[in-house]
Amino acid sequence: MIPIAYNLGSLGVRRRTTATAVLGIALVVFVLAGALMLTAGIRRTLGSTGRADGALVIRKGSDAELSSNIDQASVGLILEGPEVRRSEKGAALGSGEVVVVTALEKIGTKGGVSNVNVRGVADNVWLVRPEAHIVDGVPAKAGTDEAVIGARIRGRFKGVELGQSLELRKGRPARIVGVFEAGGSSFESEIWADVDTVRTAFGREGLVSSTTVQLLSMGSFDAFKARIEHDKNLGLEAMRESIYYEKQSENLAKFIGVLGWLISAFFSIGAMIGAMITMYASVSSREREIGTLRALGFSRRSVLASFMLEACLVSLLGGAVGCAASLALGVVRFSMINFATWSEIVFVFEPTARILVIAMVSAVAMGVLGGFLPAVRAARLRPVEAMRGE
Amino acid sequence: MSIPGLAARNLLRNKLRSFLTVSGVTVGVLAFVLLRTVIWAWTAQSEDTAVDRIVTRHKVTFVMELPMSHFDEIRSMKEVRCATYQNWFGGKDPSHDQEFFATIACDEKTLFDVYDDMETPPDQKKAFLEDKQGALVGEKLMQRLGWKLGQTVVLQSQIYPGDWEFHIVGVYKALRKAVDPAQVFFHWDMLNERRPARIKDHIGWIVSRVAPGASAARTSLAIDEHFDALDVQTLSQDEHAFQQSFLAMFSAVLTALDTVSLVILGIMMLILGNTLAMGVRERTGEYAVLRAIGFLPRHMVALVVAEAAALGFVGGAVGLAVAFPLINLGMGRYIEENFGGMFPFFRVTPSAAIVAMALSIALAVVASVPPALAAYRLRVVDALRRVA
Repeated sequence: MIPIAYNLGSLGVRRRTTATAVLGIALVVFVLAGALMLTAGIRRTLGSTGRADGALVIRKGSDAELSSNIDQASVGLILEGPEVRRSEKGAALGSGEVVVVTALEKIGTKGGVSNVNVRGVADNVWLVRPEAHIVDGVPAKAGTDEAVIGARIRGRFKGVELGQSLELRKGRPARIVGVFEAGGSSFESEIWADVDTVRTAFGREGLVSSTTVQLLSMGSFDAFKARIEHDKNLGLEAMRESIYYEKQSENLAKFIGVLGWLISAFFSIGAMIGAMITMYASVSSREREIGTLRALGFSRRSVLASFMLEACLVSLLGGAVGCAASLALGVVRFSMINFATWSEIVFVFEPTARILVIAMVSAVAMGVLGGFLPAVRAARLRPVEAMRGE
Repeated sequence: MSIPGLAARNLLRNKLRSFLTVSGVTVGVLAFVLLRTVIWAWTAQSEDTAVDRIVTRHKVTFVMELPMSHFDEIRSMKEVRCATYQNWFGGKDPSHDQEFFATIACDEKTLFDVYDDMETPPDQKKAFLEDKQGALVGEKLMQRLGWKLGQTVVLQSQIYPGDWEFHIVGVYKALRKAVDPAQVFFHWDMLNERRPARIKDHIGWIVSRVAPGASAARTSLAIDEHFDALDVQTLSQDEHAFQQSFLAMFSAVLTALDTVSLVILGIMMLILGNTLAMGVRERTGEYAVLRAIGFLPRHMVALVVAEAAALGFVGGAVGLAVAFPLINLGMGRYIEENFGGMFPFFRVTPSAAIVAMALSIALAVVASVPPALAAYRLRVVDALRRVA
């Protein structure tokens, strides 16, 4: 084996070309890791919304809460079944909620408006959704015009800040009294107010959009679904809460994922060619050295291995730089419309060990593929001719 | 032999490297053009709008509707030439469950005044006006769903229960990109009859055209001011602003794509710069000889820059030669057919092609600056003595 010190030394001598090759690979890794982290962030945000043992009831054919309307009278029927979990006091853990969208002025844009989900919630919302909890301020009092906001949209829209207020209807401002977190789910991009306040403000008297319940266990779902959908006149559809939200994230996550992979594929071809050019040049300028190594008795195989190793070192370095840069994306907040709700959701770039491994593996793959042909050429050199060379 | 000739010859000396570099630039140009096309396809609709068309909707939310009286009031304003009202129906074809398209209940009598950029043969227009269950369908949607003129279709709605039967009596062609070429229009009365009492006689939004000489921006403000004192306030935007605010919801993605297309240019420059620097380093001795026989430092610079420009030009040309057929004939058709709802137009624009070409030459020239400087500063004696 040719010692690694030789490769390290030779990379050091050709600092500039080494740096350009490293930078090329780093850029590719950065884009790939960024896209994957965003996809993971979207899946986590929408995937962690909703409980596995929860169920959501909407009007059949509606696809989403926003376009669904259920009579308030049906809520009682939905909640009274034996599959629904009850609190110690015997009250059903479930409630009818009204989901609407409001156009708010986005801070930092000139008069730009964007849609935000407003959810009218019942007073037992903190029991029905135990993953949500107030992190600043206090919960909104039931039956008042108070509202609480999700942590992720805090400060992003006009009036969406503790102590400020939003006009849901002319002359009826809703005062923001608290900020809540909900395990990174899409609820954190919503505004929650009293169900009756939202209902009157948006002209939805006597209606709810959906009914969310906690089931006794995950296994109770089938019985629950059968009971809800049995009465065709009600025209209702029950879904596992987690599946409902996962379905909503499907298109968005797929879209970003495909775009990211496509771009990364193009990029990696570019970076591979870059690595190849560097390695070819490095081989041709070292013909004499290689000839000497061969003359000293190193086999073709060890020359091949040595050059492959060098390519791997370059790509590992590039991968590490790219990964490090992509981790910095953690502070970036990426807001985007969710096609399913027509309102904005804020995502974060979510680094996972798996993504970093994928990024490093692709970096090494680029190095190996780009370095292989040059390394073969180095191994094929005839020692005598190589030493005689220019 | 001229300097450009010599530069071109230099490129042919290491054919493998030049080939690799040109391939690198080709891939870069291809990716760049593709990204620009995605961005263009996304924003094209907001660039080709009717400047005098205004959309008025509920101030607070699109889920709430306006009273019918708002329409009459807008129509009677002196700045407004004509107006029409519409409602979102949220229709879907049960046999094409995954296809998204806009289904709109429209006031058929005023529709064509406001949307004079929707072209329909006069007999079909007449048929649409006369048939209470008539539907006017965009040409693109007809193709996408395989519908035929004269056919009866049953749609369902995400909002309203039941089956809705329509007769396709007309097909329109969008003359402007801002007009979605894949919508279904039907008579508003048909929707209103079946709506529950609490939302009867309410309209989703109002579209109006301003009178000649009036400004769209000022008329929008005038409309909103007019309703400000009333219970239901409005938000009016001209068509351009309306499309822009829709795009703003995707702005983060557009910014990301912009950033990524800059990164591509960075990678392209790295490849080019690397190749050029290696060429210059290897030819140090030759440059020294040229200098020794009387060529000036600026001639050396010209040599390097000409070589770079030639590389950039060839890479750009090959890239475009691949990108045009790939996008316009292959991908573009596929995307227009399958994702027409989002990207009704997916074509390489001439401006994107020119920009890509200019950039690949310009980047090559910029990338040649460090090696060109090295060639310029070359000290003949040292260089001749140096063993390459």
